[in-house]
Amino acid sequence: MRNTHRGLNRILLTLVGILLLGIGAALIATGTLPSAADIWTTTASSVRDQARSLAGTAPLPEPVRSWWLVLGVALPLVGAVLSVAWLASQGGGKTPRLAEQSEGTAGRTVVDAGLVSTAIREALNGNKDVLSTSVSAWESRRGTALHIRLEARKGASPRELTHTVEHLLRSTDSWLGHPLPALVRITSGPRTQISGTRRAR
Amino acid sequence: MSKDPHIRRLVRRETHSSRAVPSILTASVLLAASLWLSLESVLWLLKDQPLLASPAQMLRWLEELPGKTVPAGLIAAGIGVALLGLLVLGLGVGRGRRRRRSLESDRAAVVVDDDVIAAAVSGRVRLAAGLAPGQATTTVGGRSVRVQVRPTSGQPLAVDRVREAVDGELAAYGLDRRMTSGVRVLTEGAVGQ
Repeated sequence: MRNTHRGLNRILLTLVGILLLGIGAALIATGTLPSAADIWTTTASSVRDQARSLAGTAPLPEPVRSWWLVLGVALPLVGAVLSVAWLASQGGGKTPRLAEQSEGTAGRTVVDAGLVSTAIREALNGNKDVLSTSVSAWESRRGTALHIRLEARKGASPRELTHTVEHLLRSTDSWLGHPLPALVRITSGPRTQISGTRRAR
Repeated sequence: MSKDPHIRRLVRRETHSSRAVPSILTASVLLAASLWLSLESVLWLLKDQPLLASPAQMLRWLEELPGKTVPAGLIAAGIGVALLGLLVLGLGVGRGRRRRRSLESDRAAVVVDDDVIAAAVSGRVRLAAGLAPGQATTTVGGRSVRVQVRPTSGQPLAVDRVREAVDGELAAYGLDRRMTSGVRVLTEGAVGQ
């Protein structure tokens, strides 16, 4: 339900993977072929010479000496900023309010996610097939969506659990006035492993 | 499978990995490396002592790398870096399917863990064949459900009923992917049930 930009993650991981593969291939080639080792050395020394000659142009007063050196400091900083941007694009989207309606001067109505969360958890409290429930609301492109996570008892039928939750959702729809998009996760968890099956033989 | 694209998107995002953890790791490494590089460049500009190595020292080290390192070491390092690259590339282009699948529902997007399905199928089989807990085990793979039944010693096992129970249970779920089912009956029976 998080708003992680998944396409971006995949593209950047692919780029990093290709880059690492390239470095690895270059290292292997340098270790096996003497001519590749020569190319490596000449390339590195020409890069060094070019950097030295560039540092002599576009002069600036001491201690900076050249605009090119300023660029040399700025490039890794830009890399750092881009990395922070990538980090910041992960996750997000959880919201405490489920629905909101403004009625002009008459005021605003806000429905907290906690209301529906408490209602659903209370309703599933007595269900012997449900070990724990958590309900949260998430922003998505098409409005707020409800995320309901149920930890099922070992051997509980997911079909029956789905029916129960569908029924609950229909009743929340009727008292909220409009249907909310909902995602139901039926999981097993640590409590599933230690809980016995409910059915007798 | 639901026709609503919004529900389909919810299901897709829930059944596939977001690649957030490898992305966070990679971005953190990149961030640390770029911060270190910029700090070293500033220290070098101010003619201060470098933390580990100044940019000039790094370039010289790169230049002399093939001459100063034994080829075997270079090859080993290259293989290590290439393997890491393959792993990251695989994370980037792989499918990233998680061990869960979607159940048919006309109200919500429902995603169920594979082991919940396995436990439910086992329970259904036990009920159909009158077995004790532990006599039926189920494995849910990508597109298959494998049930392994250990019959009670001295009692005939109605294999057809087991098959019917498995297929009926799977049909009731209306999973988004077609599943093939298989029942295997162990030759060794369980004693004293």
